[in-house]
Amino acid sequence: MTEVARFTHGSRIPGWDDAADLEKAPAGVPDPAITEVPAELREAIEAAMALYPDRRSAAIPALHAAQEHHGWCSPEAIEQVAAVMRVTPGELTAVATFYDMFETVPVGAHAVYVCTNISCSLHGADDLYEAMLAAAGDDAGFNVRSFECLGACDIAPMASVDGVYLGPLELADAERIVADVRAGRPPVPEKELVRRACADPGVTTASGPDAEA
Amino acid sequence: MDKLLFRDIDEPGLNTLEIYERRGGYQALRDALKRRPDEVLDQLLASRLRGRGGAGFEMGKKASFLPKGTMDKYLVCNADESEPGTFKDRELMQKNPHQLIEGMIIAAYAAEVNRSFIYIRGEYAEQADILDAAIVEAERAGYLGDRILGSELTLSLVLHRGAGAYICGEETGLLDSLEGKRGNPRLKPPFPANQGLYQGPTLINNVETLSTVPAIVRMGGDAYAAIGVENSSGTKLVSISGHVRRPGNYEVVLGTSSRELIYDLAGGPPEDRGIKLWFPGGSSSPVLTADDLDLSYDFDTLAKAGSMLGSGAIIVVDDATPVVDVALKLAKFYRHESCGKCTPCREGTNWTVRMLERIDAGEATPMDLDIMASVQDQIIGHCLCVLGDAMAMPISSMVAKFRPEFEAHIEAARERHGLSAAILSAAVPQPALAR
Amino acid sequence: MPRPQPTPVTLTIDGREVRATEGAMLVDGAKQGDIEIPYFCYEPKLGPPVGACRMCLVEIEGIPKLQTACSTPVKDGMVVHTQTARVKAAQESVVEFLLINHPLDCPVCDKGGECPLQDISYGWGGGTSRFIEPKRHFEKPLALSPLIAIDRERCILCYRCVRFSQDVAEDHQLVLHERGYHTYVGTFDGHPYVAPFSGNIIELCPVGALTSRPYRFRARPWDIEGAGSVCTLCPAQCNVTLTVRDDRVLRVLTRDHDGNPGVDDGWLCDKGRFAYQSFHVEERIVEPLVREGDALRAVSWERALDAAAAIARHAGRAGALVGGQATNEEAFLLQRLFREGLDSGDIDSRAGGGVPLELERALAAPALQASVPDLEFAHSVLLVDCDPVDDAPILDLRIRKGVRRHAVALSVASARPTALDASAHHALRHAPGAGEAFLAALDAALGGPGDARARADAAGLDAEAVASLAASLRDGGEDVVIAYGERLGAGPRGPHALRALLNVAHRLGLDTGRAGAGLLAVPAGANGRGVREAGASPTAGPGLVEPAARGRDAAAIARAVEDGEITALWLLRADPLRSHPDQARWRAALARAGLVITHESVMTEAVREHATVVFPAEAYAEKAGTVTHPDGRLQRLRPAIGHAGDVRPEWQVIAEVARRAGLDLGVSTPAEATAQFVAAVPFFAGLTLEDIGGRGVRWNEREAATAVPAGAAAPFELDDPPVAAGANGSLRLGTFRSIWASPEVEISPALKFLARGPSAELAPADARRLGLADGETVEVGSNGTRVRASVALRASVPVGSVFLETGLAEGSATALEGEDDGAALVEIRPAS
Ligand SMILES: Cc1cc2nc3c(=O)[nH]c(=O)nc-3n(C[C@H](O)[C@H](O)[C@H](O)COP(=O)(O)O)c2cc1C
Ligand code: SF4
Ligand code: FES
Repeated sequence: MTEVARFTHGSRIPGWDDAADLEKAPAGVPDPAITEVPAELREAIEAAMALYPDRRSAAIPALHAAQEHHGWCSPEAIEQVAAVMRVTPGELTAVATFYDMFETVPVGAHAVYVCTNISCSLHGADDLYEAMLAAAGDDAGFNVRSFECLGACDIAPMASVDGVYLGPLELADAERIVADVRAGRPPVPEKELVRRACADPGVTTASGPDAEA
Repeated sequence: MDKLLFRDIDEPGLNTLEIYERRGGYQALRDALKRRPDEVLDQLLASRLRGRGGAGFEMGKKASFLPKGTMDKYLVCNADESEPGTFKDRELMQKNPHQLIEGMIIAAYAAEVNRSFIYIRGEYAEQADILDAAIVEAERAGYLGDRILGSELTLSLVLHRGAGAYICGEETGLLDSLEGKRGNPRLKPPFPANQGLYQGPTLINNVETLSTVPAIVRMGGDAYAAIGVENSSGTKLVSISGHVRRPGNYEVVLGTSSRELIYDLAGGPPEDRGIKLWFPGGSSSPVLTADDLDLSYDFDTLAKAGSMLGSGAIIVVDDATPVVDVALKLAKFYRHESCGKCTPCREGTNWTVRMLERIDAGEATPMDLDIMASVQDQIIGHCLCVLGDAMAMPISSMVAKFRPEFEAHIEAARERHGLSAAILSAAVPQPALAR
Repeated sequence: MPRPQPTPVTLTIDGREVRATEGAMLVDGAKQGDIEIPYFCYEPKLGPPVGACRMCLVEIEGIPKLQTACSTPVKDGMVVHTQTARVKAAQESVVEFLLINHPLDCPVCDKGGECPLQDISYGWGGGTSRFIEPKRHFEKPLALSPLIAIDRERCILCYRCVRFSQDVAEDHQLVLHERGYHTYVGTFDGHPYVAPFSGNIIELCPVGALTSRPYRFRARPWDIEGAGSVCTLCPAQCNVTLTVRDDRVLRVLTRDHDGNPGVDDGWLCDKGRFAYQSFHVEERIVEPLVREGDALRAVSWERALDAAAAIARHAGRAGALVGGQATNEEAFLLQRLFREGLDSGDIDSRAGGGVPLELERALAAPALQASVPDLEFAHSVLLVDCDPVDDAPILDLRIRKGVRRHAVALSVASARPTALDASAHHALRHAPGAGEAFLAALDAALGGPGDARARADAAGLDAEAVASLAASLRDGGEDVVIAYGERLGAGPRGPHALRALLNVAHRLGLDTGRAGAGLLAVPAGANGRGVREAGASPTAGPGLVEPAARGRDAAAIARAVEDGEITALWLLRADPLRSHPDQARWRAALARAGLVITHESVMTEAVREHATVVFPAEAYAEKAGTVTHPDGRLQRLRPAIGHAGDVRPEWQVIAEVARRAGLDLGVSTPAEATAQFVAAVPFFAGLTLEDIGGRGVRWNEREAATAVPAGAAAPFELDDPPVAAGANGSLRLGTFRSIWASPEVEISPALKFLARGPSAELAPADARRLGLADGETVEVGSNGTRVRASVALRASVPVGSVFLETGLAEGSATALEGEDDGAALVEIRPAS
């Protein structure tokens, strides 16, 4: 069989070559009688289900909660969500594998999404991504991924580190980000997006477009 | 010009209820609640506000399509903002969340809806936290919940975080995702206004569209319609990025010249560089060139020029950047984001990437450019939603406008890799299926 | 609920005027005008169209973009083009796209020759591909389950299989993984797709991506013939097409793809789909056997028939049990032999006791009969003491369809949690055996006399829940269908339960003959209804006439053998050790009887240990005759293959034994047998095999149906139902027969894995109290009898009950069921 390169963009589980394990029982809705769910995860999922007219709407929030709890959407995590939501783990697998932010293989705890889409790549994002990979090296605590447009082309090239948008970044920032994260400090705080003023010169408030400089 | 959306945008603490109210926030809602819902709807209709999410459909009209009656109806704010180059909703939500909430409450009142959702892309965690806090404030202050401000209006608002999928910006993909499924677009008809979320009538609008609503109520629909040019009323946030010196969001009156946006506001490309091409409305819009810089930035003009205003995101590419690189980035993005439901998009995006990779590597002939152009034609108009078209139209426009550069690129790459013409002839398509 | 009425519209397709039914999608409308529009993903059986494959694009005048014909309803005056250059280009594009990654390995593909992708590529494709990059290659084929192989290279992502899992079977096991061009069909974490209806995805797949593992490489389309028949492995009696090669059945498909809307709606369960293997296995008995000393020996037909004819010497002392796989004709002929030749009315087809004739008639009243499609269109459906997925699987799908597509309000009242609970508005859990008390409570809640609260208490139910159910049935619309299991009428209190049922039906106005509403009895045996109407009943002769003398029911037959009053037993496709309560008594009875004649296809305990004469039973694929569906539809079995080994038609065997025993039944062909049977039943008057035809005919819809003798009239005065025994430290025993508990499953190589050992379903609280863990082996026992089972914890099992399976070769819960109550108290403890 020829190896065909795949899953190059983002982390996606390969599954094409996998047969079913005929020793396993079919995966219906997990019986609550034999599925243990950590109390705080159960509460989070039940709270999410209560927000919607149809409990199934809570699939994504519930998977976010499970991923937070387990570090990734492991089969165990998915079974727990399924037991609380009274759906099959299959339905949740279909959801979890569809969305980029759900990890279906174990990953490092610190998510670094480097945007490599057009606007960022016009500003060297591909090199930044390489630099981030190199800076994180084989530190299992990091999960460095190249991501599609993160909606922050005004600070290109940029990255989202544990949910915090940072930019414009230079290659040298890669090492600093890794060091800061390791030390438990906010990484390159002066480059946080939320601190930036609006670019529009016409906005009339005290802080103007040049305030950042 | 006075800013409408960006009014007080950098005021410290504008994201809090206290400052927002001090700056006149929620007054439009109070005014609206003094009128009947249909009167408010009339104001929206009069404003001729066109949707800011991409398709540019008039918001008031869409709201008027919702059936009357007491069934469960929904308002959904599309805050998925994933179109490459677009980042305007982010700034609005982060700095002025209450303006959006106020707009949603007014829109819900006009459309007689009592359940609403904001679907925000999962990556916008900071903005989501800010919105969550603002929703709590609004609930506490009685702007959300039962009998808002003593009126007949009851409205709940739930913030729903996505998890990373561009297709969830497409309105029906968004609805499926909000129902807890894979974000696959649905067949239309039925349209969401008739059968949307949980099969109930649903109004879906973009963050910017809904954030404009308070201003319309404040100034009156007619006054709003007077801003801008024909068929493009009002002001628009334009996200400008790429090769410009001052990337960012700018609020401009529709009909401003594109040159003014790119050069005067965003500072134009770096010194010594010219503009090779620009996307006027996000990565899904067919590209324009330096020749098109004097086009008026409005819906109709850009459409007439063969492109579109889309989400209002200008991406500038300078003349030092190979067009093949841009095309390949773009195609890979759409391949990654295709939901996989319909054939032409799923297969066509992948095929296009594979061809572009060969073109980039010099393992192609000019005939491949013809095949690539024809594959784009096979996608356009044949898909379930317009994501396929969103790749095919810009790729088509690039091949059409920069064909010599593509050919030269192949040639140069081939020489670089020392490929002989003989190897290439092996790449000439062979009939695969005999009849 | 009103059903859609077809209104015709006229439209123009390719310049031709086409008349189609309003609301039909263009692809179907075009078919009515003999115009074919190609498609892959469209499959109305799966629900609304999804528009995924884009193969069906057509041009509609007035609409600028091409439209999907699968999702565009026809309209009067519409002008459609399917042959223009634009449409052709679109069709060629889609074929080219689909073949990009398709391996085109048709010569080694099972689907080759009957493959829509192949046909459409030839018919509408461009003939060439410009895709020169390497195709994707993956490991193939892979097991998706023990029954199904998946070839992901061939998959064209048409969504059919996953839609089946989600929207038809609603098992939600088979899903799409990933996104975009990475998308693939799979299950959670490599679990196999094992579910009662999984095999349907093989038929749905328009390419060779999903293939039957038992059928793989067995034949090509030009080697095979299709033969229509009716599956008699359960009361659902689905219409099938048997794939036959060299006189062997190699595959079972739903009849002509769309099945029979009156019966199966185009689906099959996996038992029906794969148990054909049992026709051709070595375990099958294919020659007559006679006991010599301790051993059974193969003998000539002459000897076997003579040995059986010895039953003449037991005249007046012979009893018969008729099982569900017997045809109407066989049951009819056997009861003639017994009643006319052996002077015995001791013939029964129910395991749980006879039903008084007046009740039998009342329940069979044509006005009261609901049909299978009624389950889909009723306002409300109430299930009483049955779980369709086990008792008549295909009805489970029909009910789900009604709930999903037509907003049928479903309610369930049963002892054991059912597969449909999650779809039900009301899921009431009464104590095992308390179906009567539930119905009596419901009767009172619907305005009948009596204390609803006390009766609900007796059933172990909350009176408010019963009242709420009553209100929803009464006020939710007049079309109410009540489907009930044979279990309801079992035991000495059975007639009381049936009277309560008739009362409920009366209060809801179901006995007024309104179409779309009524009762649907789900018998335990496949042809339970048919054999009873043919006279295999102690209380009724053919056509529910008063028999010359009332006979003994099954339990009384067993006692009579013990007492020496009956000395010969004829078991026509019946196995009392598996399916009748009080196994111990039956074991003793079989041992005691001097002559035991059986018709069996496998070596069961009853055969091996007790039979004196064994006639090899026919497989349904070999049979000619008729059966009657639970909703009254007479259906015809046609032989698809010749008889295996020395097997002879059972009607002929009965007639031959009768002749040798001195009674000439006067039948020499299957058609004569049918004619004689029909003539004997007044309410079948005038019916012919032609009337039955390929789709069957519901006798209760024919004019002659008025000939059903009137039965007892509701409302009845009801006794106070007995109070369900307090569990009080021990547990109430509830039983059920799983879809997989059948000899055919046990001997079909492909299905064997589904015949699991016995399990004891237990509530977590009881398990905790008793210190038992999930999976632990326990002994469940009462009065000294014990059955071994492994504990299965279920949150949905009510505290105080334990559920065990019947119908198993070993460990069948019939061992624990007393003769006179289905709800024994049992003790449970870890196995020593
Ligand atoms: C592939 C695709 C992605 C889209 N993404 C977005 C988006 O991120 N945000 C958005 O507001 N609209 C997006 N749209 C447009 C929506 O479908 C819809 O037209 C819009 O939300 C309607 O709101 P509006 O009328 O206020 O613009 C997208 C459309 C497509 C086809
Ligand atoms: S496996 Fe078959 S039925 Fe399922 S999506 Fe693929 S082609 Fe369709
Ligand atoms: S059949 Fe119409 S899109 Fe597939």
